[in-house]
Amino acid sequence: MTPPSPWQSQSIRQRTGRALGVIAALAVAVLFLLPLFWMVTSSLKPDYQVLESPPRWLPHPIVWSNYPEALTYVPFGRYALNTLFIAVLVILGHVLSCTLVAYGFARFRAPGKGFLFLVLLATMMLPYPVTMVPLYIVFSRIGWVNSFWPLIVPAFLGNPFYIFLLRQFFLTLPPDLEDAARVDGASTLQTIWHVILPASRPAMATVAIFSFQAVWNDFLPPLIYLHDQTKYTISLGLSFFRSTYDVKWGYLMAASLVTMLPVVLLFFFAQRLFIQGITLTGMKEG
Amino acid sequence: MKRFTWLASIVVILAVLLSACGGPAEKIVIRVGTGDAGEGLKPHEEIIALFEADNPDIDVQLEAVAGDYYARLLTQASAGDAPDIIMVGDDAVPEFVGKGVFLDLAPFLKGKYPLDTAVYLPGLLDPGQWDGKQWLLPKDYSPLGVYYNKKIFDQYGVAYPKDGWTWDDLLKTAQDLTKDTDGDGKTDLWGIQLTANWTTGFEYYVAAAGGSLISEDGKTFVGYMDSPETIAAVQWLADLYNKHKVAPPPADLTGWAGGNPEFENGKAAMRLFGRWPQSGLKTNPNVDLALAAVPAGKVRANVLFWGGFGVYAKSKNPEEAWRFLRFYAGEPGSQVWKNWALPAVASVAASGTTNDPIDGVWLKELDHLVPRAYVFTPYWGQTANPALAKALETVLIDPAADVAVVMQTAAQEAQTALDELLKQ
Amino acid sequence: MAVPSPKTESLRSPQALPPRARTGSFARHETVTFYLLIAPWLLGLLLLVLGPMLASLGISFTKWDLLSPARFIGLDNYERLFTRDPLFWQSLKVTAVYTIFYVPIELAGALLLAMLMNQKIRGVSVFRTIYYLPSVLPAVAFIVVWIWVLHPDVGLINTLLSYIGVEGPRWLANPDWALPALLMMSLWGLGRGMVIYLASLQGIPKHLYEAAAIDGANGWQCFRKITLPLLTPTIFFNLVLSIISTFQTFTSAFVATNGGPLDSTLFYVLYLYRQAFQYFNMGYASALAWVLFVIILVLTLIIVRTSDRWVYYEGERR
Repeated sequence: MTPPSPWQSQSIRQRTGRALGVIAALAVAVLFLLPLFWMVTSSLKPDYQVLESPPRWLPHPIVWSNYPEALTYVPFGRYALNTLFIAVLVILGHVLSCTLVAYGFARFRAPGKGFLFLVLLATMMLPYPVTMVPLYIVFSRIGWVNSFWPLIVPAFLGNPFYIFLLRQFFLTLPPDLEDAARVDGASTLQTIWHVILPASRPAMATVAIFSFQAVWNDFLPPLIYLHDQTKYTISLGLSFFRSTYDVKWGYLMAASLVTMLPVVLLFFFAQRLFIQGITLTGMKEG
Repeated sequence: MKRFTWLASIVVILAVLLSACGGPAEKIVIRVGTGDAGEGLKPHEEIIALFEADNPDIDVQLEAVAGDYYARLLTQASAGDAPDIIMVGDDAVPEFVGKGVFLDLAPFLKGKYPLDTAVYLPGLLDPGQWDGKQWLLPKDYSPLGVYYNKKIFDQYGVAYPKDGWTWDDLLKTAQDLTKDTDGDGKTDLWGIQLTANWTTGFEYYVAAAGGSLISEDGKTFVGYMDSPETIAAVQWLADLYNKHKVAPPPADLTGWAGGNPEFENGKAAMRLFGRWPQSGLKTNPNVDLALAAVPAGKVRANVLFWGGFGVYAKSKNPEEAWRFLRFYAGEPGSQVWKNWALPAVASVAASGTTNDPIDGVWLKELDHLVPRAYVFTPYWGQTANPALAKALETVLIDPAADVAVVMQTAAQEAQTALDELLKQ
Repeated sequence: MAVPSPKTESLRSPQALPPRARTGSFARHETVTFYLLIAPWLLGLLLLVLGPMLASLGISFTKWDLLSPARFIGLDNYERLFTRDPLFWQSLKVTAVYTIFYVPIELAGALLLAMLMNQKIRGVSVFRTIYYLPSVLPAVAFIVVWIWVLHPDVGLINTLLSYIGVEGPRWLANPDWALPALLMMSLWGLGRGMVIYLASLQGIPKHLYEAAAIDGANGWQCFRKITLPLLTPTIFFNLVLSIISTFQTFTSAFVATNGGPLDSTLFYVLYLYRQAFQYFNMGYASALAWVLFVIILVLTLIIVRTSDRWVYYEGERR
């Protein structure tokens, strides 16, 4: 009889650990879901019942009409298409530009690099409300207001958040594969395409998901650059449910839940990109 | 890599083509910017449709946005890019007019497409005036009133508020309708839902107490914001909350007067507010809605909330913009508006609104208006408003606070801020 | 096989490249490649970023209402800011207190969630989605939901408290509880940080854990010696970004409390926004912005400079 392997002797500890993990996960999930549950029930209530006391946990009567009414209150279909158009291009821009720039920061030595990295971080430190006005004037002078360009083009010129994120990620990749590629005569771009990108799936997935979500919910820039209501995005559409003296609870909840779905679905299905089947280091160590 | 570059270039080219689509404009496009949300859009859209039918050479583009309206307007204006027709709230009129954002309407009113300003109900042109000239025309407006729920009054056999009622009558009615119905020591029914630290609404209390928050020359707060009348007004408000406890405690102190659901839930007998939630309240099964005039304090007074439209000084098509404004603010627009809010044109109001049991009460309030405080100084928003809001928050949160001291502090704060600004 | 130990590598120290010697032409080639690679960002920097930033610096020396021409007033805005504006100090205090509490909680909380979600539990992808869900909501909806959760009379928290006989505070209507309430609210968005940690956790090679298990390491030791060191690049990232963004908190205060009650939630950028767009004081707002900039820059520099002592990059060359 073979002696028990280290694996089997740990199985009880592992199983208890796992059970505790499940309980913890469930507890947190319930906490996170409670407000969402209220969103769903409120989306099916008439407005005057939303702030009832004591709170009514299940809507009665159920106002299904909140959903079609909310989504046609303003043309959400159109807004969703607009937002989707912007989002796809922005994801493309981020992935393209931020990969290049982050790779530069991660792997190459050059005079001024440290300083430039700090500049990169510094560009995130000035609050948007004060740069928004001069930037708007710039775009106005080149005639790009009332168009999607101010919302799309900057994505192709790098974004400090994603550059920083990807730089951190690239720095954790052992340079062995890149060295091998260079020995084989690959150019920098080829190295990026053939070695780095495949190894960076989780990070790229994060960039894509976050970019999509950021565009989906972006409010101030579309607010000032999009004049024509046919160009509005989803976040602008949602803002119509809230005015100074009045909140259209049912519509706001219904529309928010519906417009949230694409991002959620994207995340749910993109999760497999987080789960790496193969480890990075194909080379033996030690 | 090559494939990728091709793909990217194709996408970019497509994007350029798509966005450049659209032939040369044949019609003149007039942009109308407004901060209305949701429901407020429908009357705009109706009016625009009617106007475009009548004026086929003009295309009206509505640019509405709710929330951060001023941030957007100011950003666009800083680049000279604001819409042709701009909406601003009453308290923003002095600033915007003073900085040259609007065109003087006098030449238009008497020009090729005239408009007789006598058509309006009393007091509705004033907020659009500054420095003796007319800059904006009314969009919508509301005075304050006291909603009451007939269901609750009937249930407890309390008489409805009468014409000409006073603060004492209000207190008595509210006390009669503040009850702990299930004996658990907590109030279940409140007499009246008030507006906490909402400063603009507060001006009614001051006016009704016979006081004013600022001197007529707009330079002094001390002696006005802490005058005995003003202190009496604050004390009255604070007592309703803390001493007599007829008003439910504020659910939020954002100063936007929302948040409290008692009246909506049928748990408060009255509510002092403007016309904005009226359509929702009318369809609310908890409430059998009726409206009373605001009670008189020492004085019978009310204040008006108002939004108006003007023509952008840098508009490239001022005449066409005026044609739309004239339609909108005149009788045709008013006809549409009367289904959504109070109409501004007297003849339109006479054709139905005046006799409506609720809307008629709103209209009668227009005879008792006093000027709002911002009229006396363009710096009201930066100086007195925050000080006043904080003072109100203080007396509401701390029942033991000495109202006189709080108001003196507020007056000083406002005064210091104002002196600083006037020096520059 | 030994578990790798943290190395000390400065961000800016020279990296010797094996096995090639660093000849002049190679160094030049590297420099050129670097600048070519970061060209998109540099271009954007010059065209769209530096210009507005420098413009706002210039504006901070003027009095500008966005509608009439700006008037040069030198250092007046800064002087007023530091000597005559109690709300500057108040808003700085509110923001600093909030940041001091929020950043560690977010860092640790998101990490805990990520580790929880890194297990092979059935339906883990559903759990992950649930945790990330709130972060996906548009800010307005997120905050409006929490206005109800925190509602002193009909809200979720006080209702649940009433079931156990406790009368909850008036949260957003109470100057002592409003800031903690906003803190609680922002914790609902931990899913975002979790996702970033998750991506990194997934990148840790499994064979390290296997080897450690064979050597008899328990869970805590695995965490301390494998997970944590290899996560330091991500922790560094989250720390820097958390500080930069938390100092600029705006929307939650703007929508939920408007800075009140009694300025207890007057966040710095909210005050700045008010000065710019409600008080017609863009010059002053720009001065406020640049003061904040310096504060955040100094803090970030400190973190960056000390980072080589605790951040370990597997992929850095020796």
